[in-house]
Amino acid sequence: MINVLFISAKTRPVSVLAGSVRKLVAEGARVSYGGSVPESWMAKKLTGIDFVETHPLRRSNLRRAVDLPFGERVWLRIHSDSWLRARAREAHVLVALDDGAVYTVWQLAQRNRTAKAVNGFAPALDAVRELAREGEAAALRAFRPPVSLVVREFARRVRGLPGSLERTVTARPIMRSSIGARLWRVPLRAPAVPDKLRIAMGRRVAEAMNWAGKYGGGSYALALTASKISDPAIKAELYDKAVSQEIDRGTGPKHLDQAIQSLLAHADDLQAAGEYKDAVKNLSRALALGFHRGVHIDQLASPLAADPEAFVGRFHRSRAMQTVMTPRGRVRPAAPPPTGRPLRLLVTTNANDNFLHHILDRYRNRHDVEVRYLDMATRPSLKRLTWADRKVMAERMGGDDEHAALVEDLMRPYLDWADTVFLDWCLGHAAMLTTIDPGDTRIIVRLHSYEAFTRWPHLVDFSRVDDLIFVGSHLLDLTTTLVPQLRGPQAPRTHVLHNAVELSAFTREKTSDARFNLGLVGVGQVVKDPLWAVEVLRLLREEDERYRLVMVGADMDPKFSRATKKYRKKMEAKLAPLVEAGAVLRLGPTKDVAGKLTDIGFILSSSVRESAHLGLMEGAASGAVPVVRDWPFFAGKTHSARTVYPNGWVVDTPAAAAQRILEVNATEENWLESAELASKHALSTWDWAFVRADFDQMFLGERR
Amino acid sequence: MRETANQFAAQGWDVTVVTIKDESWALESGVDHSLSQKVDPRVKVVKLPLRREDLETDIRRFSEQRAVSPAWWVRSLRDRQQEMFPEPNFGDWKDALEDAVLRLHKENPADLLLATCVPYTNLAAAWKLWEEARVPYAVDFRDGWSIDVIDGREAFIADSEKGRWESRVLSSAISLWVVNDPIAEHYRARYPQLADRVHIVRNGYDVDSTPVRKRPADPESGLVFGYLGTINFSVEHLRTVLNGWRAARSREPLLANARFEVRGYSGHGALRGANPQADLLLDAEADGVTYGGPVAKAEVASIYARWDAMVLILIGGRYVTSGKVYEYMATGLPIVSAHAIDHDASNVLQGHPLWTGPRGVAGKALADAFVEAAHLAVESTDEQHTKAMAHADQFTREIIMSAAVRQLVDVLGLEKGRTQ
Repeated sequence: MINVLFISAKTRPVSVLAGSVRKLVAEGARVSYGGSVPESWMAKKLTGIDFVETHPLRRSNLRRAVDLPFGERVWLRIHSDSWLRARAREAHVLVALDDGAVYTVWQLAQRNRTAKAVNGFAPALDAVRELAREGEAAALRAFRPPVSLVVREFARRVRGLPGSLERTVTARPIMRSSIGARLWRVPLRAPAVPDKLRIAMGRRVAEAMNWAGKYGGGSYALALTASKISDPAIKAELYDKAVSQEIDRGTGPKHLDQAIQSLLAHADDLQAAGEYKDAVKNLSRALALGFHRGVHIDQLASPLAADPEAFVGRFHRSRAMQTVMTPRGRVRPAAPPPTGRPLRLLVTTNANDNFLHHILDRYRNRHDVEVRYLDMATRPSLKRLTWADRKVMAERMGGDDEHAALVEDLMRPYLDWADTVFLDWCLGHAAMLTTIDPGDTRIIVRLHSYEAFTRWPHLVDFSRVDDLIFVGSHLLDLTTTLVPQLRGPQAPRTHVLHNAVELSAFTREKTSDARFNLGLVGVGQVVKDPLWAVEVLRLLREEDERYRLVMVGADMDPKFSRATKKYRKKMEAKLAPLVEAGAVLRLGPTKDVAGKLTDIGFILSSSVRESAHLGLMEGAASGAVPVVRDWPFFAGKTHSARTVYPNGWVVDTPAAAAQRILEVNATEENWLESAELASKHALSTWDWAFVRADFDQMFLGERR
Repeated sequence: MRETANQFAAQGWDVTVVTIKDESWALESGVDHSLSQKVDPRVKVVKLPLRREDLETDIRRFSEQRAVSPAWWVRSLRDRQQEMFPEPNFGDWKDALEDAVLRLHKENPADLLLATCVPYTNLAAAWKLWEEARVPYAVDFRDGWSIDVIDGREAFIADSEKGRWESRVLSSAISLWVVNDPIAEHYRARYPQLADRVHIVRNGYDVDSTPVRKRPADPESGLVFGYLGTINFSVEHLRTVLNGWRAARSREPLLANARFEVRGYSGHGALRGANPQADLLLDAEADGVTYGGPVAKAEVASIYARWDAMVLILIGGRYVTSGKVYEYMATGLPIVSAHAIDHDASNVLQGHPLWTGPRGVAGKALADAFVEAAHLAVESTDEQHTKAMAHADQFTREIIMSAAVRQLVDVLGLEKGRTQ
């Protein structure tokens, strides 16, 4: 029997893993698997795979390993694991399943000097076949490293002694105690400490704080050090690190303003000195932190929504940013639609085609339009460019002509063909496309919602866009406030067009108990704030226990961000007893939303921010009575949920929502009447049968 | 290459092929020994002990530095390799290749050297033999070098190290072979003085890879769609094809129990057979998709014989033709195109009676193409099938390569006449 030991430092594709084990077992191997991976992944995903044993290996790093290369970190945290050592000793084939596990296999192979040591599934299979051909697997020998390796590792430890000593005086128990942690801040604040010493101390204290689990303290130590340092590069770097680690932990960053200011100031200095590459690096970091999804998108509030002018003002005052945002215009205006032949329409997106199906269907079937579709994500060379913000910035600062040449080569054939380009989602691919002059091709860009909270609209050259479509006036207002180019003389025409949705299929008869079921369609992001709906349910059940909440759609993925993970954890804790009691039904993802809506009598929009909330529209069309939270990101502004929907649908608080539901539901007739009115409104306002005329007008103008 | 060598041997030449050892080929994506069985026995094969270090999977061969940071180590390896010849992964083969051709020439003087690319490092060997012994050479360039065929743009400017190498080597080459018109146009425009030496030698297909006869489609037991070829397209591209397949399967009764078999090499080195594309395919099992790994050349015909329609998934655009398109045509089966509309494969397929046409890479359009192909598989006549196969006849590799070799030999004769 040939013993094979798989080692991985991250989760692996399960289907490939299962297929490989099947083949190895068929060749007469016994496969064990040790993974420095989440135990829950092992427990859930590896059942049914024919491993002799699986074993979770440690995942947290040793403190001294934090800044080492990944492979070394993995080895240092698992090298003393007795299971690993025992299996490695008796293995005939040691297999690394990813780059992070290669060094561990290399080290184990120094100790088990007869085993084959390979990287990857197919080489493992080759090794087993070779051993099977040879007949007898090598006898096991002593499990210890060669003398040369022992000497090398000893020398390395001696070299690391000063660091070890420092680590001893900032040991975890000391830093965990609030007195110890505070004591260490004193020298960071002290005046007249040379910068070099202050920086070294700041870094070590931050490392120690993080190690003790006091991440807030770690960020504070870095920010405190940064505030006392005069070197702009190190100041920017320390603030950047402080804020990044706060965002990574899912907490609201306390030093975001200072980090953005110092990165922008440094970028401006570097640009003035002609050091474009470093200027771009700092500008890009400022934008990345300022518009981080952990700050705006995965949160229930956003400083950008609270005060848009103030939030973006600091960026617009940066000279480097001004350079990047300078409109470059186009040599020729867009040509009018052709008269002697069909309009050539290029519809393009970058992976997300959720809102394009009806549009593509309609214009593919018209004799007066010739459609081509380009999903940039399917073209690796284009896909790489669509997220290349640094290249976009460098090109605009005059530091990277190659980028524009590449975009020119890749996109010009499409622009030459098309009369009109319809680009969906105002993200990196819009910034990329507007790097070049579109010639006389008309460019239409559509912005849905979340793009407004990213850096991308600030990197799009709107002087090369003819029409900018929004799906709601509230987003038009916000984006126009945020992006100066949209207020300038070369601004594109702006429009509000509803999304293309087919609502007629949703009108079906309700089931008898639908009247007491509240529905929430789409719960996959923090902004949907399902806990608001849970609060509505709680208030209703105080009055009438027949009320239930039906949640339709995939759950939010905790891997999105730490902030998402935090929300999900809180949500699960709230939901568990309600699900147990039958008050909440979680239906999960479905392709048959219309079918699920037959059980739902009230449709909720509990979100903090939406463009139009498709689930709500579908619910309304189905004959569920809509109850819409006045989306807090836009509440009180000229346009908000109150202008997207009839005012009567919109409420300010869970209590007001519960009251509306109880009032509507006072009698079945009243509920039916409200439902019918809502359905009529939805079908006559948002159904594709009506909305498509707006798209005809947009694409074909007077030829309609 | 096999056909080229065989054609030279058939025309009375004493042929030596310089290649790398089997285990080095195995590192790339695996070895198919059935391919070498049909090499003319008169052809001598010299296998050099060169291997691609970046693809090494034996960790005992790794230095500690490489083991600690494999990706970083490979990046710095590529930088080092390009100091010798401007080509990552192969640049450091230059000396060994040059030594090998000089030694072979010394043992048995050559009248002609034909360098095939990739790797482009082979060009250095051709140049060396020309410099040292004035042995005439031709370049079988396939997809060219200074044209990036995937993106359809110049890959490097003339005033670069690669540009200088290409220009230097091509200036003395007696003939330059490329696979299609757009690439030929690129070279004729870039080097006008060489325009008459640029020849189109299409990839073509091997007759022994085509099924003997068409199996009647049997919707009862499930239609079988197939893809055979290297899985070199992106995950997103594949995902779009699979989405199209799922959509077609859910709406077309003929496809309700259909299967989609994908065969071919995927990934190399440590990722051989285990890249994200392979995982995506294995995950789609519930949709009737299977991934069965590579097929030995000798089994290709029997694999095609089990299928009812072909799915032609190709990267790139107007500069890419691929070899697959010829082989697919020769099956006489309906073909679903999953590639850019403006692709050279579309030009080759134009007029094929069982082709569903170019529709780009979009789920809905592909779904329509799958549905149409299902109907073609069931409803097409023997006459259409025969016509489809006849469409491919002009592209048999034997015909193409024998003409190319004859023409090259003629050119060589003329060159000799000029110099004598």
